[in-house]
Amino acid sequence: MQSLSKRTIGVLVVIAAVLVTMLVVAGPTAAAAETKIRVWTDKDRKAAVEKVVGAWAASKGLSVEVLEKDFGKIRDDLKTVQPESAPDVIIGAHDWTGQLAADGLVLPLFPTKATRAQFPSYALSAFSYGTAVTRLYAAPVALENIALVVNTKLVKVPKTFAEFQASALAFKKKANGNLAVAVPQGAAGDAYHMYPFFSGLGGYVFGRNKAGNLDPSDIGVANKTFLSNASQIDAWNKSGFLNSKIDYGVAKDSFLKGKAAFWITGPWEADTLRTSKLSYKIVQVPSNKFKSVPFLGVQGFMVTKFATTHGLESAAKDLVGSYMMRPDGQAALAAANGRFPANMVAGKAVKNPLLAQFGKAGVGGVPMPNIPQMSSVWSDLASAWVKSTKGSGASKARTAFATAARNIANKIG
Amino acid sequence: MTTHEQAFERAEPQAVERRGLHRPSLSGDWWRHLIALAACFIAVFPVLYVASAAFNADQSLGGTNLIPRSLSLENFRELLSPDPAKSQLQSSTSHYLRWLGNSLIVALTTSVLTVLLGALAAYAFSRFRFRGRRLGLLSLLLIQMFPQLLALVAIYLILLRTGDVFPFMGLDTRTGLILVYLGGVMGVNTWLLKGFFDTIPSELDESARVDGATPAQVFWGVVLPLALPILSVIGILSFVGTFNEYVLASALLQSNENFTLPLGLRGYIDKQYTEHWGPFAAGVLLAGVPIMVIFMSLQRFIVSGLTQGSVKG
Amino acid sequence: MSVFSGVVGLAIKIALLAVVNGVAVWGGTVLASDEKWFALAVLVAATLAIDLIYLSPRRAIPLKFLVPGTVFLIAFQIVPIVYNVNVGFTNWSTGHILVKSEAIAGIQRNSLGPPPDGAAYSMAPARNADGNLVLLLVDDTTGEQFVGSEDGLEPLGRDSLKLGEFGTIETPPSGYTLVTGAELLRLDTELSRFTVPTESGAIRSEGTEAALELAPTLRYDRVRDTFTRIEDGTTFRDNSKGAFVAAGGEELEPGWRTNIGLANFSAVLTDPLIREPFLRVFLWTLVFAASIVLVSFALGLFLAIVLNKPTLRFRRGYQVVLIVPYALPAFLAVLVWGGLLNDDFGVVNNALHTNIPWLFDPWWARVSVIAVSVWLTVPYFLLVSLGALQSIPSELVEAARVDGGGPFAILRRVTLPLLLVVVAPLMIASFALNFNNFVNIYLLTAGGPPSDDQSVAGATDILITYTYKLAFEAGKGNDFGLACAVSIFIFMIVASISGAAFWKTGSLENVR
Repeated sequence: MQSLSKRTIGVLVVIAAVLVTMLVVAGPTAAAAETKIRVWTDKDRKAAVEKVVGAWAASKGLSVEVLEKDFGKIRDDLKTVQPESAPDVIIGAHDWTGQLAADGLVLPLFPTKATRAQFPSYALSAFSYGTAVTRLYAAPVALENIALVVNTKLVKVPKTFAEFQASALAFKKKANGNLAVAVPQGAAGDAYHMYPFFSGLGGYVFGRNKAGNLDPSDIGVANKTFLSNASQIDAWNKSGFLNSKIDYGVAKDSFLKGKAAFWITGPWEADTLRTSKLSYKIVQVPSNKFKSVPFLGVQGFMVTKFATTHGLESAAKDLVGSYMMRPDGQAALAAANGRFPANMVAGKAVKNPLLAQFGKAGVGGVPMPNIPQMSSVWSDLASAWVKSTKGSGASKARTAFATAARNIANKIG
Repeated sequence: MTTHEQAFERAEPQAVERRGLHRPSLSGDWWRHLIALAACFIAVFPVLYVASAAFNADQSLGGTNLIPRSLSLENFRELLSPDPAKSQLQSSTSHYLRWLGNSLIVALTTSVLTVLLGALAAYAFSRFRFRGRRLGLLSLLLIQMFPQLLALVAIYLILLRTGDVFPFMGLDTRTGLILVYLGGVMGVNTWLLKGFFDTIPSELDESARVDGATPAQVFWGVVLPLALPILSVIGILSFVGTFNEYVLASALLQSNENFTLPLGLRGYIDKQYTEHWGPFAAGVLLAGVPIMVIFMSLQRFIVSGLTQGSVKG
Repeated sequence: MSVFSGVVGLAIKIALLAVVNGVAVWGGTVLASDEKWFALAVLVAATLAIDLIYLSPRRAIPLKFLVPGTVFLIAFQIVPIVYNVNVGFTNWSTGHILVKSEAIAGIQRNSLGPPPDGAAYSMAPARNADGNLVLLLVDDTTGEQFVGSEDGLEPLGRDSLKLGEFGTIETPPSGYTLVTGAELLRLDTELSRFTVPTESGAIRSEGTEAALELAPTLRYDRVRDTFTRIEDGTTFRDNSKGAFVAAGGEELEPGWRTNIGLANFSAVLTDPLIREPFLRVFLWTLVFAASIVLVSFALGLFLAIVLNKPTLRFRRGYQVVLIVPYALPAFLAVLVWGGLLNDDFGVVNNALHTNIPWLFDPWWARVSVIAVSVWLTVPYFLLVSLGALQSIPSELVEAARVDGGGPFAILRRVTLPLLLVVVAPLMIASFALNFNNFVNIYLLTAGGPPSDDQSVAGATDILITYTYKLAFEAGKGNDFGLACAVSIFIFMIVASISGAAFWKTGSLENVR
C-alpha cells in the first residue's frame, strides 16, 4: 500500500494535468459574448416582449435575451440578483415603484412632453415616487381595474347603491345558494376587491402631504367619515349582502352558473366573460356615500440600475423611455395579456368593448399606493373586512377597522 | 461466498410471510376492509378534485361540484402539444416534456447520489468509533432544522459564485441544483441508514477484514449489497422529494428550458386571479404516474426496508 | 468481491480524485486570475485535505466515508446558516440594498430634475471634425438647433440638420458624423455620463435620441460626507445606520446596507409587535407541530396495524392508494383543501350537513390546519410503521399473547416501545419540519383568521409565518436583516427542543 501511494500521486498529477487542459480548452472561451440587453418578463407577455424588443434591438444592432419569471418574483429577485446576471429592463406593477426606487434599483426616466401627453396623468403618477420630489420610474404599458359585472338576464343594471343593494338581496332570496354579490374574500381576505365598498364609505389608505405625495403617517383606514358610515357594513353583514366566506373560486363559479347576478372582477376574466354566453354589462359600483371607485393598477417597464453597470443605460432608456411608450408597441404589449394600453393613442384603436367598459368603470379610481409602506396595509385591511362580514360571530365594523388602522400604524412604525 | 449467502438470508424479511401462514384470511377481516376503505376515501377525495380540474375546460380548481361542467381533454392537449393560436397563455410553447425530462434527470441523479453519500456517512457512523461521533450524529439532525425558507438567499449567492468559477454548475444549471439538493443528504437519511447498518452483524465485516479486505472493499462488497432494501427506500423518498421540490428550484433555475416540472407548471398559476388550473392539474396528474409506478413496483422494499432491523440495533 | 478488489477500486478512486483535483486546479486558476485570494486559499486547503485523507492508507478511515456528504453539508447547509447570522447583524431591508458608494450615486441621480423652463431636445450623438463626442440637439419647443459639447451649447444654423419620422435626427450638418450602431453601443457609458453645462444645470442624454436639461436638487460634499439641499440648505448626515438623515428626521433614499450590530436581535426582544403575541404564537407553534406528529403517527400506526396482515386481500392496493397524498405536490393539496373546507360553500360542510366555521373561527381554523397537515403526513408514518411492525420479532408478540395480554396491552407493552425506538428520531425530525411548515399555514389560512386579541398575529400564525409577516408585510417590507435575526432565534428554539427530546427519548443512547 505504501508503495502504491507514490505511484498514485504520479498518476493523479498526470490525469489532473490532462483534465485541466481539457476543461480550460472547452471552458470559458465562449464567454466573450456579444452585447445583449436582458429583459425579465412574465410568461403571458414573453412572446410580445420578444417581438417588440426584438424589433427595436434589430435596429440598434443589439441582441435580446428575454427571461421568463413569475410576475411577483421579478420584484423580489431584483433585490438579490448579482450584477452579472441582472436584467437591464423589467416588467413591473406600479405599486412596486416605491420599494424599488427606495432601494435604488431602478432609474428615473424623462420621456418627452409629447410622449407624456399620450398618457393619462394617473398612469404616470402611479409610477412616480419620491419622498420630497417625485420622479417617473417606468413606461406605463397596461391599465387594469376591477368593476361590477351585472348579469342583465337576472337583474337590471342598478343606478344607485340602494337599488344595487335591494336587487342583490332580492336575487339572493330567490333561491337557496344564490349570492347577493360575488365579491371574493376568503379566509385571508382581499382588500383589493373590496376597495369600491371601502371608498364608497369614505375610506382611503394614505392621505397626501403638502407636496402632494403619499403620506404614510396619514392612514385613512379608520378615518372619522368612514367610521361614521361603518354601520352600513354591519347591516350588509346581517342581510348577507356581503359575505367574506365567498372566495375567488366560489365567486366566479356562482356568477358563471347564474347563482350570482353581480360579480366584482377585473379584465383578467375578460376571456371568461366573452366565452360565457351570459348577457352582462360592466359598470362601476354605484355611488354610496361617496363614489365607489376601484383601485387602479398600472403595469409597465422599468430600467434597472444594472443597465448602467452593463454599459447599456442609454440603450435601455431609449428602449423603455421612448420606444415602448409609442402607440404601436403599447398596443402589442397590452394585448398580450388582455389589458387596455396605457397610451391613449393606442387606446383609441382598441375595438374591444369589454376592455372599454372596464376602463370606463375605473374613472375616478385611485392608483394603489406605490409607497413601500403599503406592504403593511394589505393583510390588516383585508382582515378587517373578513372579521366584519363573516356572518354570525362577526365583529362590529367600527372595531375591526379601528384595530386594522392601529395595527397598520404599529407595523409602519 | 458463504458470507454472502448467510447475509442475504438474514436480510430477507421472512417474518412477514411466516406470521401470516397459520392464520388464513377469513371474512373476519371485514373491519380491516372497512377502515382501509374509509382511509382510502379520505386520502383520495381531494385528489378527485384535482382530476376534475384536469378534465374540466373551465380552468378552475375545487369549485363546488366534482363533475366538471364540460368534460374534455383540452388541458392535456394544451400541455403536451401546445398550439400557439389556441393556447390561453399565448406564449408560444409549453415545454412539458422537457420539464418532465429535467425533473427525472435531477430527481434520479439526486436520489442515486443521496443513497451513495448517505450510505458512506452512515457506514462511518455505524462501524467506526471516533471522536465527535455522537455530536456529529446529533448535529446532522439539528442542522436540518434551520428554516430553509431563510437560507435561500445564501444558497443563491453560493451557487452564483460557484458559477463564476465553474459555469457548468452555477445558477440556472441542473448540475447546480443537484449539488444543492445533495446538501440535504446527511440528516434523517443517515440516521435511517445507520440504524439499518447497525443490524448487519459486524462479524461479517470482520471475517472479510481477516481475508484482507480494506474498509472500502467491505463497504462496497459486503455491506451495500445487504442494505439494498433500505437503499431503495431512501432512493424513492429522495426521488419523490426532489421531483416535487419547488422552493429551491424556483430560486435557482431561471430559464424555461432548465425548469423542473413543478416550476414549469407553476407558470400556469403564477398570477393572482388568472390561474389556469386546468393544464396545471393535468400536468400534476401526469407527473404522478411515474411516481406511482415506482411506488408500486418497489412497495415491497418500502414496507420491509424502511426501518427494518434497526429495532434490533 | 472481485469487482471491488485492488486494481478496479483503485482506478475508480484515482479517477474520482483526479476529477476533484482537475476541477480544483481549474477553479484555482480562475480564482487567481480574478484575484480572489481568500476563496483560493479555501479551495487549496480543501483540496489538499481531501487528497491527504484519501491518499494516506489506514489513517482517517472514518473521514474517508464522511467527506463526500460533509462537503455538501458544509456548502449548502452550514454556510447558509453562517451567512444568515451575518445578515442578522445588518440593516438589509427595503431602502438598504446597495453599498454606500452606489447609494450616494443613486441619491445624486435621483436628485436630478428638470429646472423650471428646462429645455428638452431631440438628440443625436455625433463626432465633430476632431473626432470628439458631441450631442446634436434640436429644441423640442423652439426648433432651434445646437451642438452640445463638454464646453457648452453652440447654436447651429436653423435647418442644418434634418429630422425623421419620430423627431429623430437623420442627417448631420457638415463636419459631423453621426454615431450609430455598434459604435454607439460601445459609447453607451460615455454617452450616459456626457454633460453639456448650461446656466441652470446641464444637458444630459436621455436614451440615444433625446436629451434634456437637468439640475441637481442636492449637492454631495465628498470631504464632509454630507448632502446639502440646494434650495434651503438642509444638511443630511450619515446616521451610521445606512442613510443620510437631516436634523428633522427627513431621510434620503436610497440608503445602503451596513452593519447595525445587535439592533435586529434586540428588536426581537423589545419590539412590542413581536413581544406581545410571542407567547401565544410560540405555544400554538408547539401545539401545531407536536399534534401533527402525534396524530399522524397514531393514525399511521393504526392503519399499519390494520393492514399488517399478509393475507389481507387488496392489501397492496390499499397501500398504494394511501400513499397518494405523499406523492402530490403539497401546495396543491393544501389549496384544494382550502376550497373543500370553505365554511359556506365547501364540500365538507355540504356533505356532512354541518355549518362548522372551518376557516373563519380561530379555534376551528387551528383544527383545520392541523387536520390538513395530518392528511399530508400520515402516509409517511404509515410507511414507517408498516416497516417497523414487520421487523418486530413475532415471537415477542406471541409470547405476550400467551401470557394473556389483550391486543391493547400488547400494543402498549410490546409493540409501542419497540416501535418508538425506531420512530422517535423520525418523529423529532418531523416535528422540526412542521415547526417551520410555512407552506401549509400560508396557503390554507395565511395565518388567519384574525385572532381575538386584535394583534397583528393571526390565530393560526406559527413563528415562521409570523416572522414572514413582520419582515415582509410590515414597515416598508422586505426586512431581510430582521428575518435572519428571528430565524436564528427560531433555529435555537427548535434545536433545543429537539435536542432535549433526543436526550429524553434515549434515541442517542441507542447509538452503539
